[in-house]
Amino acid sequence: MKTRIALLLLAAGVAVAAQAPQVLVTPIVRDGQVVVSFDLGVGLSPDLRDAIQSGLATTFSYDVDLRRATTTWFDRTIASVTVTASVRFDNLTRQYQLSRTVDGRAGATRATEDEDAVRRWLTEFERVPLAATSVLEANGEYYVRVRARTRPRNAWFLWPWDRGAILGRAAFTFVQ
Amino acid sequence: MASFTSIAPPRSHESLPPAPARRKFRDSPRLILIGIGALTALLVAMLAVSARTTRFTPDLLTEFVLYALSATDLTMLAALLFLLARNIIKLVVERRRALPFARFRGRLVALLLGMTLVPAILVLIVGSELIRTNIDRWFNAPLDEVLSSANQIAGDYYHERQLLVGDHAGRIASTLSSVELAGADTGALRERLAPELLLHGVQRLAVYRVGPDTGSASMLEPVVDVSASELPAGDRTAAERLAAEAIGGLSDARAIETLGPSGDLLHAAAVIRSPDGRPIGAVVATDYVAGEFAVRSRRMTQAFEGYNQLRVLQRPLTGTYLSFFLMVTLLILIGATWTGSYLAKRITRPVVVLSAAAREIGAGRLDQRIEPQSDDEFGALVEAFNAMAGELAASRRKLERSTLEIERKHLEVEKRRRYVETILERIATGVVSVDTSGAITTINTAASRLLSLPRSIVGHSARAVFDRADLRALGALIAGADRPALEPSLQEIAIPREGQELRLAVVATALIGDSGATEGVVLVFDDVTPLIRAQKVAAWREVARRLAHEIKNPLTPIQLSAGRLRRHFQAAPAADKTLVDECTETIVGEVESLKGLVDEFSQFARMPSPKTVPTDLGQLISETVALYNGIFADVRIEQRFAPGLPLVRLDAEQIRRVIINLVDNAIEAINRRGTIVLEAQLDAANSIVRVIVADDGPGIPPAEREKLFLPYYSTKGRGSGLGLAIVRRIIAEHGGSIEVGDNLPHGTRFTIELPC
Repeated sequence: MKTRIALLLLAAGVAVAAQAPQVLVTPIVRDGQVVVSFDLGVGLSPDLRDAIQSGLATTFSYDVDLRRATTTWFDRTIASVTVTASVRFDNLTRQYQLSRTVDGRAGATRATEDEDAVRRWLTEFERVPLAATSVLEANGEYYVRVRARTRPRNAWFLWPWDRGAILGRAAFTFVQ
Repeated sequence: MASFTSIAPPRSHESLPPAPARRKFRDSPRLILIGIGALTALLVAMLAVSARTTRFTPDLLTEFVLYALSATDLTMLAALLFLLARNIIKLVVERRRALPFARFRGRLVALLLGMTLVPAILVLIVGSELIRTNIDRWFNAPLDEVLSSANQIAGDYYHERQLLVGDHAGRIASTLSSVELAGADTGALRERLAPELLLHGVQRLAVYRVGPDTGSASMLEPVVDVSASELPAGDRTAAERLAAEAIGGLSDARAIETLGPSGDLLHAAAVIRSPDGRPIGAVVATDYVAGEFAVRSRRMTQAFEGYNQLRVLQRPLTGTYLSFFLMVTLLILIGATWTGSYLAKRITRPVVVLSAAAREIGAGRLDQRIEPQSDDEFGALVEAFNAMAGELAASRRKLERSTLEIERKHLEVEKRRRYVETILERIATGVVSVDTSGAITTINTAASRLLSLPRSIVGHSARAVFDRADLRALGALIAGADRPALEPSLQEIAIPREGQELRLAVVATALIGDSGATEGVVLVFDDVTPLIRAQKVAAWREVARRLAHEIKNPLTPIQLSAGRLRRHFQAAPAADKTLVDECTETIVGEVESLKGLVDEFSQFARMPSPKTVPTDLGQLISETVALYNGIFADVRIEQRFAPGLPLVRLDAEQIRRVIINLVDNAIEAINRRGTIVLEAQLDAANSIVRVIVADDGPGIPPAEREKLFLPYYSTKGRGSGLGLAIVRRIIAEHGGSIEVGDNLPHGTRFTIELPC
């Protein structure tokens, strides 16, 4: 443990509309790393459960960005990572095959028959490494934004583009 | 379809819209056919891809095909809207600019679009409904129940087999709890487990014991492995991993190992615990589902999953089909719109080119041609147009040459006419022409002056004009001249003019045209008054010369004889002497008078030619008038000289004599009481100087005015009567003229005109 003490000031604000589902984001600075824990905060919808039960490979994709706000231009992205969690249900064995990737690299896999475990696997992430603190400026104001998407999408006719990415955001001040 | 290009020569200024330029794609049927072929191939390819979509996962359909179709639809929708908007805007602009065939183009595009739009939209609506209905029919209750039941049966079978195998694994693990696995006799243990394979249907039993490091599953050591002889060789690591998971605390440690067509292996693991509950090992029981059964079970599950996946993705799949259908409809509409626009242009373009070229020719640019690029009816029309333009150009060139020739001849005629007109205006001969209708067509300046007729009588009736009393003789000549049988003859006619007699030598000639018909009468006359005067003066000069010669010779003997008689009778008686003296004195006196008379006649006959020098006429007049100062108390002589009088070439002595003569006559006329005015005027236009001597006496009757200038004519009853004759001769010798007229309000006015 480094002698350096990092103090994380969590900003309470989450900038997503209250009525919409939102990602609960918790950035933490520890051991010279900015790690992020986030939770989609919602259960699996009936449509999504039907899609999983049908055997479709269903993927939750999270774009996690460490950003810094600027007043005169677009906010600057300091670092980003894409995390996916996939599930495929085998109707013969009645088991869920779970897997995760980080920036395209294969991660953990498991099989389970527990649907709640599936939900947690898909929606809850703990301490995902985002960036080294060396890229941060002392006393700088930053925020972590998480955008969650599911695949496949139940798109509309003539306009399949995603309209409902779930957003979450948490700001912090990096103090050394 | 024909295409045309205007090959008009370049113009510096364009007043007409230029002919449409050729466009590489639109004017090339080959490229258009290639484009249509490419589009057709694209459609066929899309149909082929859509027919093979079963190879793709539904996920791919939703993620890729739907995106692509939607993007294509939106692009084509935008293209269609753009085409329609462009056509409408172009149509409005062309109609505002009154371009030819704009209305026709608009109607053709609208017609084709309307013919295509209605059926296309109907097909789209009906087809969409059919697609929606058919997709809904895919998902019906019986099929759902069948597939669900089949999947349930297969799943239950596998599940129950797994539970059974798990039970066996648990039971065997319980029986092995008392066995010391570390030093167990594997042979005895194998014999103990072998009946389990025969009695309970388990195809394989594998026993593992926990190694010295109990905290690590990797330290599991295989103790014994008993398998049925017909069991396919599987992946033994799967059993080891399951055993490790069981040791690690996983409840219901079960796994299915798929061997493909050979079947499935159902594994179940149970922990072997020592009597004190400590895990000392694990048993993995394996059952085998034969290949055929496993494959069928997998198929049933796959059918169920496929059905469910289609149901889950029903909306995007419907969207995919509808998007594809919409894309085809839009493609048809775009094709109809573009084809309509293209056909309209192809049809109207040759006519537009022809129209533009016709307007160019109408504007006078006859070099306009159209390049024929086809052999069809339009090509023939273009050839005919070009031939017409060529003939027009040739005719125009001929016409221009003829016009130039006519203009040249006209200029010549005009030049000749001006030449003749100038001559007519400059000559002193009067010319009057009358056409067949009796109207005066020409009157030159000399005629106007001599006859005192204005030039404005041109066009008037000659009969009316020459009906004036002094011109009737001329009128009679004109009336009699239109008889071509009569030869024209010179006649002398006297016309009274301002109290004098103007004598004209007149010839009236009928104008005979090339056809022999009379085209009018021309009256030519000269003022012969000066000539007659000169002839009279010459006659008088001859008379005077002979008179002087015949009279002067005997005068001297008469005078000498009278002197001799006087001397002879000096000694005679006084009475006789007085008588002789008186008689001889009378004879001598009269002889002297006769000598004076003869001298004057001699002077008149032998007057020398004037010796002219530039002279100030005003000064000459003033000096002459000064001679009368103080002589006549009741006579006032006024002098009025116009400013800027030039020097006049004249013989000062002779002119002084003229002025004295005229002033003397004036003093006599006013009976030495009244006013005499001497004026000098300049007529710059005619380059003459006028000297006027006017008195306010009783005047001279018009009948006597012409006789004033004849020798031996005197109104005074005394003198030789040669004064005014000499005056006229002096003035004539100076190239001038003298006229007498009335002075207003009364008196006589002599006007002398001298060239300057």
